[in-house]
Amino acid sequence: MKCAGPIDVRDVDESCINIDPIQVGGRLTPEAMKAVIAYGDGYSVCDNCRKPFRLDYIKAPPVDAFHRDLAAFLHMDVARVVPGARRGFQAVADTYVQKGDPVLITALSHYTEVLAVEGCGGTLREVPKSREDLITPDAAAETIERVSKEFGRPPSLFFLDHVDYQFGNVHPVKEIIRVAHQHDIPVLLNGAYTVGIMEVDGKDLGADFVVGSGHKSMAAPAPSGVLATTTERAGDLFRTTQARTDLTGRTFGVKEVEMMGCTLMGVTLIGMMASFPRVLERVKHWDSEVEKSRRVVDSIRSIEGTRILSEEPRNHTLTRVDTIHSFDKVAQTHKKRGFFLSSALRARGIAGTIPGATKVWKFNTYGMTEKQADYVARAFREIAAENGLRVGNQLKTSDL
Amino acid sequence: MTKRAIDAVFESMFILTDLRVLLRETAPLHELDPGQKGSAQSLLAELQGKVDLLKEELLS
Repeated sequence: MKCAGPIDVRDVDESCINIDPIQVGGRLTPEAMKAVIAYGDGYSVCDNCRKPFRLDYIKAPPVDAFHRDLAAFLHMDVARVVPGARRGFQAVADTYVQKGDPVLITALSHYTEVLAVEGCGGTLREVPKSREDLITPDAAAETIERVSKEFGRPPSLFFLDHVDYQFGNVHPVKEIIRVAHQHDIPVLLNGAYTVGIMEVDGKDLGADFVVGSGHKSMAAPAPSGVLATTTERAGDLFRTTQARTDLTGRTFGVKEVEMMGCTLMGVTLIGMMASFPRVLERVKHWDSEVEKSRRVVDSIRSIEGTRILSEEPRNHTLTRVDTIHSFDKVAQTHKKRGFFLSSALRARGIAGTIPGATKVWKFNTYGMTEKQADYVARAFREIAAENGLRVGNQLKTSDL
Repeated sequence: MTKRAIDAVFESMFILTDLRVLLRETAPLHELDPGQKGSAQSLLAELQGKVDLLKEELLS
């Protein structure tokens, strides 16, 4: 079935249980789906934009209140919506990083943090990860000292991922931020995998900047996100334009330089806003999401030869597994080769794995119903057994 | 086109959205429990009402 011309209807979430590592937290709520129907046209939130013209001043729909609510949600002072977390990284890097400045990221940082630093000419230095694939306060302290000595000054910014995209591990960010602040280094907390699915208290964590992704974890259309900061930092980060054009002498008043004026002016913003009440509620039920994640992980772990590469017990719904000695062994002789696994999952109505991946891969259980979690857990064991892999007694997370 | 018809178009799409969500919640087997069947039934009845209203507004 087609939507229009050559564009297929996308019904993956209606016909399957989607376990795609990056998609599940961004699926729209019913409220967002409805708002998107009404606000699909271009500048749809701008019907009532009045002087001084700026997105966060619009009262109908209540975009102004939404900005205040976003800041309160993150326990920060000021927030702006941005076209994806990456644009939040870019705004902060552009404000605080001068050419040649050392900037800290970690061995598990997302590539967009690297690009944000590269874009403004900063010099990247990575905090190494531990054997357990965690970033530790000690590693941060050692790296800060080493880099400060190398450059003769401390790094001008530290990008720290609350939960990393590779393993879905939860890092001790509060302690790491404390270490960074001892050296007067501002910290940007990348909450792409936390803001909107878990409670994030930026003030308690001590973050100078909190960035979230609308399309990754806030049930919003792409590209959308949030950038929040403290009153102390807001003046620099959200500075307004001072430019005057030379021929016409035009000035642009309240437009914020790093936001390029207005940011999300239609369906992205309205989707974020419509989902927000449900997002506020759903973060309180993170424990039940983790429980379902552990249930599926328990099942996969019970398949002989399979290793869970993410930290255990799982504290997140995104998990990385190594099936080199289980599903990949099957792939060596299966007529569908490496495609047998995604194909067997798809035949059971489970989508979102990379076709052909049987070695190291990731999945995300966020947003499943109880029934769906049980179904997925059972499906992996069934596929393993059908392909001659031994499926042991289900070792539970609580037994670890 | 009257305001009633415009409202009915949006309301119909919102009802269909609720049905879409039901499909998501019950994927992949779509075996609805009694509660979900009850919800589906009332949504479909409501949708039928909106379609009737649209026929009346646009075709009569």
